[in-house]
Amino acid sequence: MEADDFTLMEQVRRGSPGAFETLVERYQRRLYRLACGYLHNHEEALDAVQEAFVKIYLARQSYRPSAHPFTWASRILANRCIDQIRHRRVRPEQSLDEAQETRPGRGPLPLSSSEESAQTRQERRELRSVLQGAIDTLPPRQREIFMLRHFGEMRLEEIAKALGCALGTVKSSLHRAAAAIRDHLARTDPAFRSPKGESS
Amino acid sequence: MSLLYYGALVPADEAGLLRHLDSCRFCGLEWDEFRGCLDAATPETVFPRETEVDWREFARAAVARARAAEAARPATAVAAGWVAVPVPARFALLAAAALVAVLLWNTGLRPGGVPGGAPASPDSGVGGPPLVSLLESAHAMQDRLARRGAARYLTDSRAVLVNLVGPAAPCRKAGGQYDITLEKEKSRQLLRRMNLYEGGLGSLEDQRLSTLVRQLESVLMQVAALDDCASARQIHDLREQIETRQILLRIDLVTREMEGRADVV
Repeated sequence: MEADDFTLMEQVRRGSPGAFETLVERYQRRLYRLACGYLHNHEEALDAVQEAFVKIYLARQSYRPSAHPFTWASRILANRCIDQIRHRRVRPEQSLDEAQETRPGRGPLPLSSSEESAQTRQERRELRSVLQGAIDTLPPRQREIFMLRHFGEMRLEEIAKALGCALGTVKSSLHRAAAAIRDHLARTDPAFRSPKGESS
Repeated sequence: MSLLYYGALVPADEAGLLRHLDSCRFCGLEWDEFRGCLDAATPETVFPRETEVDWREFARAAVARARAAEAARPATAVAAGWVAVPVPARFALLAAAALVAVLLWNTGLRPGGVPGGAPASPDSGVGGPPLVSLLESAHAMQDRLARRGAARYLTDSRAVLVNLVGPAAPCRKAGGQYDITLEKEKSRQLLRRMNLYEGGLGSLEDQRLSTLVRQLESVLMQVAALDDCASARQIHDLREQIETRQILLRIDLVTREMEGRADVV
């Protein structure tokens, strides 16, 4: 049976063999998504997650079980990302990796299988662009809360603790964020509009 | 509905809301639309490159880096000692250090003044020459940091401009000819970064560099203000500006020069 996160973190603190490896494997993808939300760059997000794991390991003795381990880890990552935004290192060909990926004929399309039609690829790119646009239009705090809940899969109580705000604030921010995303999608992409206007 | 979607309602409220959604057609459709939008925001869609990563290898590398970092840490005795100090004691030490710094500042190291209000000459007494060299170093460091910020900003901006002057991607949406979504987003990011660096870039003494940064900002603002699908005319105007002002060439010259100077400072 898998140890829960608190037990696992305690094992990491005690230096149990394999515990840190398990923690990394458990959190890495969720942290990557959060990092992408801050940095909007694949490579930089991967770097930030690695750096965050280094910090988590070095600071494991200072962890207190009053916070969920993922909450604690996400704060370390957030600080790392904010730091990285302030002192961004520029690697033009990498910082424009999104452009390489989404522009036909300008680079490889690693995600797309060879069977996938150009139309499907284009649709997926457009959907992604619309979604990214919707998320980017959110105010920073709402975006952070949305990212933590939607992609970080954190509970609202954990988010409130991580951000040091009231649970009510998290709920209202999440509600506003979700509504804004819905409105943005419905406005920009007819596929997301329900036929209620026609029926009522 | 958002709380229902994220499973944050208490069971009684959830059951009540679900009953209502079943019975009210309008709210039911609203819920379907709401759910459809949030369901579309899957990690695979929003972070398509996540699947490119070999996560097992990534975890192995992260663990190796963490262990290496810890192995390297005890080498510095000061750092090890600092870690051993309890947190309240660390704050106390930091406060004491800050107090000493303030006292030193007020009693003799303040630029242009010594206790009693007499101006300090660069070669007078205890605090003279070291203070001047300290201020010069700080000034040089500040300029160097501003230059680095500017160099990063210029290089990234250049990449956006190169995309704009290169072959444009056709837009699939109605109302425009060229898809500039990415350039637009990148321009916004750069403008945000510009705001972040504002203090640093403002302190640049190089007139040529600050002029270039200002012109670049103007072009980026124009790009950021365009629709996702730009007209051929708009793209043409932008290209003309970039070419007329020789922005790409000037970025190349300035960044090359800055790279050279960064090592000297």
